[in-house]
Amino acid sequence: MSEFQAVAKVSDVPDPGKMLVEIDDQLVVLVHCDGAFYAIDDVCTHDGGPLGEGELVGCTLACPRHGAKFDVKTGAALTMPATKPTGTHEVKIEGDTILIKLRES
Amino acid sequence: MSVTTTAAGFTQESFDRFVAQRNEPEWLRELRREAWQKFESLPMPSQRDEEWMRTDIRTLRLEKFGFPSETIPTSGAAPHGLLTHGVELGGQTIAIDSRPHTARLNEKWAAKGVLFGSLDELVASHGEIVKKHLFRAFTPGYDRFAALHAAAWSGGTLLYVPRGVTVDEPFHMLSALNTGGVDMGHTLVILEDGAEATLLAETTSLVEGGTGLHVGGIELLVGPRARLRYVNFQNWSAGVWHFAHQKALVDSDASLQWTIAALGAKLAKVNQHVALTGPGATAQVNGVMFTEGKQHLAYNTLQHHEASQCRSDLLYKAALQDDSRTVWRGMIRVDEGAQKTDGYQRNDNLMLSEHSRSDSIPGLEILADDVRCTHGSTTGRVDDEQLFYARCRGLTRKEAVRMVVTGFFQQVFDRITIESVREALGLAIARRIREYE
Repeated sequence: MSEFQAVAKVSDVPDPGKMLVEIDDQLVVLVHCDGAFYAIDDVCTHDGGPLGEGELVGCTLACPRHGAKFDVKTGAALTMPATKPTGTHEVKIEGDTILIKLRES
Repeated sequence: MSVTTTAAGFTQESFDRFVAQRNEPEWLRELRREAWQKFESLPMPSQRDEEWMRTDIRTLRLEKFGFPSETIPTSGAAPHGLLTHGVELGGQTIAIDSRPHTARLNEKWAAKGVLFGSLDELVASHGEIVKKHLFRAFTPGYDRFAALHAAAWSGGTLLYVPRGVTVDEPFHMLSALNTGGVDMGHTLVILEDGAEATLLAETTSLVEGGTGLHVGGIELLVGPRARLRYVNFQNWSAGVWHFAHQKALVDSDASLQWTIAALGAKLAKVNQHVALTGPGATAQVNGVMFTEGKQHLAYNTLQHHEASQCRSDLLYKAALQDDSRTVWRGMIRVDEGAQKTDGYQRNDNLMLSEHSRSDSIPGLEILADDVRCTHGSTTGRVDDEQLFYARCRGLTRKEAVRMVVTGFFQQVFDRITIESVREALGLAIARRIREYE
């Protein structure tokens, strides 16, 4: 059973912006866009590429390898070559602290 | 059980201390120092490298581990292996956290000139043989892990079979890890002309779910007309990082049967390389992988035909459940003079869950013009019709899935000629199959 874990301060990630965080040996991309924070797996479902190194436009994150785009709010794959959503995790803010809870696998 | 490793990280200071602790000949110290320089200068592999593109090691913290220490475990019972049930052994080595624990060799084989035991200990007594062969099939500068292994190897096993000696009892080597432990075992197998032997190697963790680091190296030197059967069963717990460089040199008219089985490790990245160096050499390579949880097993295989009229046949089969992942990149390389080559490679993957993933990348690189080289790859799910049929015959769903998985692996089990290995692998896999809806 995973718990919320503090990963960063609100001031660490501008809007729009992103940050790679490590929780329990897992890498997660923390994204700040449209005034809210989201967390998705650092894994493109097409080829396993590192999404955290991709370009963020609005709330869409593009894989640096082949350009597949993902909606960071839902994890949904928006364009080819990815067809499956990437994983998302719950985010909450307490004061100035951002906390993430890894989804149950 | 005494703790045998210190988490001092891999620093110049801890390296100097490690080398100073070991009473080794100067040539070996020099090899270690050269390799350490390479380790210091090489970058950590990253996903920008083609070979590591699908293997993410960004969460590996090498500083949490350290060089194997000289503290020899003196208490605690020897761990048990799975491969030797009912087998009369010619000898056995056990290492814990890369330090020798047990080494024994049947007198009758020792009398014929066979050497089998801890490589650490045999360097002292048979240094010339080790010096002649060490790193013939290992490249310390290949990548950062190879360099670390060459600098820090400890424990390990040497098997030397002199010319014409046939050993009809298998040898067994077991490497065990305490949680947080480090295994840097180096395996060196030397079969001289016409020798025959079987070596069963396996790994285990002493603590279920324990963490650890394995950075290993295996060299199999199969002389002319020699025959080697080698089984390597990786069965670490799911918290262990496993990096290995494994290579065989198979000389003229020699044969090698190499079986790799992998059920354990958090993440494994293995380079398995078979070089057929003399005319008429043959190699059969078998791979059995069963993964679960978030395991990631990546195998890079190379069948290198350097001489003419050689035959290589590789079959890797993997079944995946939960969120696990396997990567197989296989290459058959045929050199310009290697005419009449017969090379085959095949990889089959059985997906037992929706979120598992398997990447299968076969390849051929052929510079000769009179060869037969083929490859194949399949990836699929359990056939619902087969399950339905089996359930109509009174099996539960789990029993039916188990039967399908067993059938999937049967093709590779049929190629493994050692009964105790077939049985151990079959049982270990059957125990892991989950209930699926």
